[in-house]
Amino acid sequence: MKNYAKITPEGTKDLLFEDCLANRTVSDMLGNVFSGRGFHEVLTPALEFYDLFEEDVSGIPMESMYKMSDEKGRLMVMRADSTLPIARMVSTRLQNADKPLRLYYNQRVYRNHLGLTGRSNEVMEAGVELIGAKGKRADLEVMSTAIEALSACVPDFRIELGHAGFFRALAGKLPVSPRKREKIRFYIESKNYSALNSTLDKLPQSPYVDIIRRLPRLFGGIEVLDEACRLCDDEQALSTLDYVRDIYNSLSKFGLGSRLIIDLGLVQRNDYYSSIVFSGYVIGSGEPVLIGGRYDNLLDKFDAPAPAIGFGINVDALSKVMLSRSSIPPIPKTEVLVHSEEGWEMTAIQYTKTLLQAHINAENSVFETLDEALAYARKKGIRKLTVVGEEIRTMNTEVQS
Amino acid sequence: MKPLRIALTKGRLEKDTVGLLKQAGYDCSAVEDKGRKLILPIGSGEIEVVLAKAADVITYVENGVCDLGVVGKDTIMENGRSFYEILDLGFGKCRFALAGKKDCDFYAGYNEKTIATKYPNVTRGFFEGKGMDIRIIKIEGSVELAPLLGLADAIVDIVETGSTLKENGLVIIEDNVAPISARLIANTASLKLRKSEIEALADKMEKERAKSK
Repeated sequence: MKNYAKITPEGTKDLLFEDCLANRTVSDMLGNVFSGRGFHEVLTPALEFYDLFEEDVSGIPMESMYKMSDEKGRLMVMRADSTLPIARMVSTRLQNADKPLRLYYNQRVYRNHLGLTGRSNEVMEAGVELIGAKGKRADLEVMSTAIEALSACVPDFRIELGHAGFFRALAGKLPVSPRKREKIRFYIESKNYSALNSTLDKLPQSPYVDIIRRLPRLFGGIEVLDEACRLCDDEQALSTLDYVRDIYNSLSKFGLGSRLIIDLGLVQRNDYYSSIVFSGYVIGSGEPVLIGGRYDNLLDKFDAPAPAIGFGINVDALSKVMLSRSSIPPIPKTEVLVHSEEGWEMTAIQYTKTLLQAHINAENSVFETLDEALAYARKKGIRKLTVVGEEIRTMNTEVQS
Repeated sequence: MKPLRIALTKGRLEKDTVGLLKQAGYDCSAVEDKGRKLILPIGSGEIEVVLAKAADVITYVENGVCDLGVVGKDTIMENGRSFYEILDLGFGKCRFALAGKKDCDFYAGYNEKTIATKYPNVTRGFFEGKGMDIRIIKIEGSVELAPLLGLADAIVDIVETGSTLKENGLVIIEDNVAPISARLIANTASLKLRKSEIEALADKMEKERAKSK
């Protein structure tokens, strides 16, 4: 049998030094924003029962989840998303807690993507969920947290707004089966204009068909809403447009200008989201770095109905972008190597600690001899060597700076 | 501003696309005598062309290292993942077809049928739609050989005129598996971040395509 002891599984990797620091820095930055806005951190298990992530509820394809069985033969999955476990937690342990609940998380999620495409199967995700509150204030609270979180990391992000109810209202007017409707939704999601057109051409023509035909192109500034309003006379659909306009106007107070965009073709996981949806993009990342929306029906599945809204940020993608732009502070270099003479080991450890407390980057030498310590310091570019014995003397290692 | 990077499928789709871009008024001389270079500027440097194999076009676009790509619908159907398909370019037309040996009733009997193809995903999808459980064998080269050698009952392949099939004694059993043509695809984030540039280019290409129809 082939031995795989020396390779990591497809889509996973070790994070070393600056990568690790970048990841941690971004996690901390986001965590600070979230807790600063009054959200409290939770962690959920990496293993859950498959039932929690059933495709009908989660919208996550069964093939893309890591599965295994427990000792009773029950099907388990590696956490494929954080919102569902949090919904489970809220409906059980927090069922009697005062609402709204303001929760945040920062943990890994696992998806089994198609091999050899360069996609990560293990992704660090940080996000918030506001559960038990509905309406404009709740939406603005969460979306402004999203904007604040991205602002803390990258200045040039874009936020995109849509509404799951818009497509639902229009698609409800089409004389098609749910399966066909799902197909149409998929063509809009993938902006597949030609397939969408050929499907719609076969339907009896109506104003609803016309506007669905335009849907993948309905993204851009506020003018998109004007165009959609002109094309549409369905009351329900119009009310979703009014709501998007209301949110857009409120959020535009952040001064994002053209970085706040509207995309009425944002129909991802449309059965999961119930109202406003949004995502965030950053130059340098080929996929959205933030995805969120209102999911008022999800908690029903756990017999604990409650309105809810949340978003998740791809910490890995964001830290990769920040690292490539040098916006992560570098790992500080060791300035002093502390070496002890025989019998002075504990004093040296104490002395190193004193230096560190004085914000001097020091490292305690673990070498047997002074020569070895000196050679190490030179190789690593450490400029000073302090020898601790009867007396403490510091020498220059004569490293070129 | 970084140039808009567009990946073209090497060969005929590349030529047709360059033709379209030329008609649209872009200076394509760098692509026309490219030598061995794989990244080439066109126009006055606002667009950069990358030449790649069909499936790689999808990979580059999906990962966001190229903003746009031109690739056949056949490749999209076989490898399709997450990107936007924004324009049917109308050239590179052909179709997927199911073909088998002459004088053989493919659908007769309850035996499991074996299909040879370069497109296992398309094939699986097609037969799933028919409620047929089949066995697929992936072939890299001339698929027509498989039924002749007795390895498969039929093949699923792209067909343009059907002459290769005819010369080898194969007949088309069904040719409505799917129509194929070249598509303009876009990276999900690029379309959002560089909307106006991409839409302007797509509009120009669409206009020229309509003219040459």
